[in-house]
Amino acid sequence: MSAPQPQHRIELAVHEGEGDLMLVNFGPQHPSTHGVFRIKLLLDGEIVVKAVPYPGFLHRGVEKLAERLTFTQLGPIVDKNDYIAPMTNEQAIFMAFEKLLGIEVPRRARWMRTLFAELQRVASHLLWLGTFALDLGGALGGGATVFLYCFRERELVLDLFEEVTGARFHYNTHTMGGNRHDLPAGYAQKVHATLDVIAARLVEYEHLTSTNRIFDVRTRGVGTISSELALGLGLTGPVLRASGVDHDLRRDAPYGAYDEVPVNVMTETSGDCLARALVRIREMTESIRLARALIDGMPEGPICGAKAIKTPTQFKAASGQVYVGIETPRGELGTYVIAGGNERGAAPYRLKIRPPSYHAMSVLPYVLPGHMVSDVVAILGSLDPIMGEVDR
Amino acid sequence: MAVDETARNYTHPLYDTLLAAPGLNVLAGSVDQLLTWGLKNSLWIFPMATSCCGIEFMAASASRVDLDRMGTIPRATPRQADVMVVAGTITVKMAPRVKKLWDQMPEPKWCVAMGSCAISGDFYRDLYPTVPGIDTVIPVDVYIPGCPPNPEAVMAGMLRLQEKIALVRQGLFPPHGSSKEDRPETAKMANPAVRRLLDPARDAAITAHQVTLAGTPSPDTVDSPPLPVDASTAGSADRDLEALLRDRFGVTEFPKDAPPLVDAAFHVELARTLRDRGFRQYVTCVASHWPGDPETFEVATVLRSTGSGSQLAAWRVRVAAGEPVDSLCGVFAGADWQEREQFDLVGLRFAGHPDLRRVMMPEDYVGHPLRRDFASDAPCAPWR
Amino acid sequence: MHWLLWSVVIITVLMTTTAWALWLERKLAARMGSRLGPTMVGRHGLLQPIADLLKLLQKEDILPEAADGALFNLAPILTAVFAIATVAVVPFGEGVIAADLDIGVLWVLAFGGLMVIPVWMAGWASNNKFALLGGMRAVAQAVSYEVPLVLASMVPVILAGSMSMTDIVHYQQQHSWIALWPTLPGLPAFLLFLLASLAESNRIPFDIPEAESELVAGVSTEYTGMKFGLFYMAEYIHTLVSSAIGAALFLGGWSGPFAPGLHWMLLKTLGLFVFIYVVRWTLLRFRQDQLMRLAWVWLVPMGLVLVFMAAVVVVWGGA
Repeated sequence: MSAPQPQHRIELAVHEGEGDLMLVNFGPQHPSTHGVFRIKLLLDGEIVVKAVPYPGFLHRGVEKLAERLTFTQLGPIVDKNDYIAPMTNEQAIFMAFEKLLGIEVPRRARWMRTLFAELQRVASHLLWLGTFALDLGGALGGGATVFLYCFRERELVLDLFEEVTGARFHYNTHTMGGNRHDLPAGYAQKVHATLDVIAARLVEYEHLTSTNRIFDVRTRGVGTISSELALGLGLTGPVLRASGVDHDLRRDAPYGAYDEVPVNVMTETSGDCLARALVRIREMTESIRLARALIDGMPEGPICGAKAIKTPTQFKAASGQVYVGIETPRGELGTYVIAGGNERGAAPYRLKIRPPSYHAMSVLPYVLPGHMVSDVVAILGSLDPIMGEVDR
Repeated sequence: MAVDETARNYTHPLYDTLLAAPGLNVLAGSVDQLLTWGLKNSLWIFPMATSCCGIEFMAASASRVDLDRMGTIPRATPRQADVMVVAGTITVKMAPRVKKLWDQMPEPKWCVAMGSCAISGDFYRDLYPTVPGIDTVIPVDVYIPGCPPNPEAVMAGMLRLQEKIALVRQGLFPPHGSSKEDRPETAKMANPAVRRLLDPARDAAITAHQVTLAGTPSPDTVDSPPLPVDASTAGSADRDLEALLRDRFGVTEFPKDAPPLVDAAFHVELARTLRDRGFRQYVTCVASHWPGDPETFEVATVLRSTGSGSQLAAWRVRVAAGEPVDSLCGVFAGADWQEREQFDLVGLRFAGHPDLRRVMMPEDYVGHPLRRDFASDAPCAPWR
Repeated sequence: MHWLLWSVVIITVLMTTTAWALWLERKLAARMGSRLGPTMVGRHGLLQPIADLLKLLQKEDILPEAADGALFNLAPILTAVFAIATVAVVPFGEGVIAADLDIGVLWVLAFGGLMVIPVWMAGWASNNKFALLGGMRAVAQAVSYEVPLVLASMVPVILAGSMSMTDIVHYQQQHSWIALWPTLPGLPAFLLFLLASLAESNRIPFDIPEAESELVAGVSTEYTGMKFGLFYMAEYIHTLVSSAIGAALFLGGWSGPFAPGLHWMLLKTLGLFVFIYVVRWTLLRFRQDQLMRLAWVWLVPMGLVLVFMAAVVVVWGGA
């Protein structure tokens, strides 16, 4: 396959001379689109000739909503964006607000946020592994078994979060200057016990997936993304690292507690679906190691640095433009916030969320042509898209 | 979108024949019970899973709660499903599809609204792209509250649905899903004071008024001119960037709290220069609308260098309303979708963009919701 | 008249067995995924298949506007008829057989092969692109895997010198199970037969025609109610019959220690059936081109070699 180009529209009339082509509407409601996403596929038999993605079916207007809410009110709203990893959403947005307002976050809060982020990464990648297996193996087959195993373990991580915040997801635990809920007594033992179980079972999943022959032939050489394309498209996270770019914001632009707890960055060079799967599976092991280190070294101290905010006028002073990006399970989740210049003062003038999945999905027109329908599902799954984040 | 209630009283001919046969009352009664038992114990689900609730629905089918215990299995095609579980926010772009899928399901069928977005639209309710509750589109039988509901709640909701089916078959309950007449609380929702855009009963004068409202800045949103500017990262690379901007692009001001403002003519050239200097990753672009005198648009672009000691490079360009900004698609492929999104939501045009179409809103949508003059908290936002 | 009696008994038993085979599979799948499976409808969910059947009977019968009505309605009926027809020659015990044809093996293979026609019919008549893709895949797969299936079945035929199922079982009673001895063509032929029948009955890893994560529900995408139920049932009958044929051709049929009879045959069939479903709920799915490559590059040559070996065994090793 020579370097493919994105096709922006499908016009059947153009293809009349090229034999029988079939236009298939893949989505917006389809078992394997990971939410609501539509791809128009032009097929030659089973081979994709052109692919045009259409996002926006879950566009909920979060950025408009942000214009009329205060900074602190936005935590539970952004939870719903990347609903597989709500903890990192909150972290991203409050890091931007804290930078904007110059609020110092106490050390314990930074460690707790980092711990939650790593646990969240484990849960998120587990869910990805389950749904990816579902894509490859079908809901009525081996894929469903892997899916059930992954969900079983994900529940354990959600239990940990539930113990701290009282919610299974959509936690609303980060706030301006720190965290809302402190760790309960005996939390460290529970984290260790849970991670022990997950670490042991991860080995089992590798047998079901990455070392499985069928998994190998379905993913090797499928959906190859070159490092040049990945950078230009703004791909981040595991997708970028699988294409051979050694880049991880946790190590390269440390935030939270990552400057104190060094991160090993997992990379692969081939850029295909297998590489993306391997990167994520290894990241789970690495996140388990990090989470153990974080809970063991958890410092004592206050968990919130900001004074209780009583009136919105306290935000009046806020002005300026800030961009902060953090490494979520899917890549760089950025928050660009423009403050001030607003009659309300307490609300962002313009909030822009830079979702990693949105960029990941924009790679589809480049990689899908030349692959078969079965590969469409595999490639889509390997990008780990979350539609709440793509469309916001 | 009004709810069509006429098709909801469907019963199978077999069922009618059995009940109509003379002298078979006793038999028919027990056959009826048997059929009802079959109907309520084999509820195959069509998961209309759009967002967060979809994940909790998956968790409900997974090991800990296991919906399969009561005989429900998810089916990927609406043709073989009995229950549509609407799990997640339904947007105006998605709602016609939901309606279509609902129509494709064979009778007898039921709908479960799972989570606050499907029930009422939650906090997206007043916003321009969302439907305030799925019961304005299709009739709903069971509501499962929560954001999202726990898997246990989903199970409980399905059990309630079973109870309801039995009651409906015994004639103790209205045979269709809750409609606007049945529930006073939804009556208001289904009959809003201001009719939705697609509603034929909508007053044309309101539409016209909203058109003017969307087109002209309202007095309370006229603000002070844009803020000062500069790169948000500090450090040595910044000084390099500053030197570059000062020497080659004639930038004189470097504000402390925002990226520097560059002449719009240099936009593409600057991006290309920075890319060649190692800022190879396209991060984002943010367009913002500044009504006032003069009305302007601003585009902030963020690039990143990869690898150890990753640095950000950010700058802004400002154009007057109506003027386009040069597109960066020729420099970074990733600018394609980002600029489309900004065009769609903010209404700023990008010159040289190969495919400037709407990306978030439906193609026939009018207006640009992230403009400051687009009413964000109107009870019924324009164009819905 | 015993054949008429047996055919009535066999079809009745088969239908009931299919229903609970479905239950068995759901329970098995649930246990493999650390779930419970159906528990609420009857004891251990044993009445679940009955409830499903009653529900399917009551569903609205939708004929899509653009569908080809005649073919659309005919397809599920033909599928079920062909699936049941294969049962005719399955020997469940000494004399427990609906029709002891001289060409029993041929009959089974022919009807197994015919199954693809209603499937393609359904794919075409639905006028749905996913169904069409599913139909195309089904045809390609059935045509490819029919060849290794026939070749594998020829091994017992050549060894026993007969195409009658009963004769083949008798041969195994006198000698030994063909899967055990002669090991060289026997055991690989058995495995080849298993693989090919997995593919014939569209089971993972060969279930690309329905592939619900790609093609929604494949050929049955547009079918509602009992028409879908017929497809569903035919699928399970096909799997059951494949297991029964495998047991008869390679595992000695009703022969067994202590008391040869029906129970041995049922036990062996059930064993193979469970094996097929354990495989189904363990493995992922192949892609279409990989499936074809597997069939034509590996399985067909392997089948040819096995047939040749069987001939060698008969000429030099037998007597």
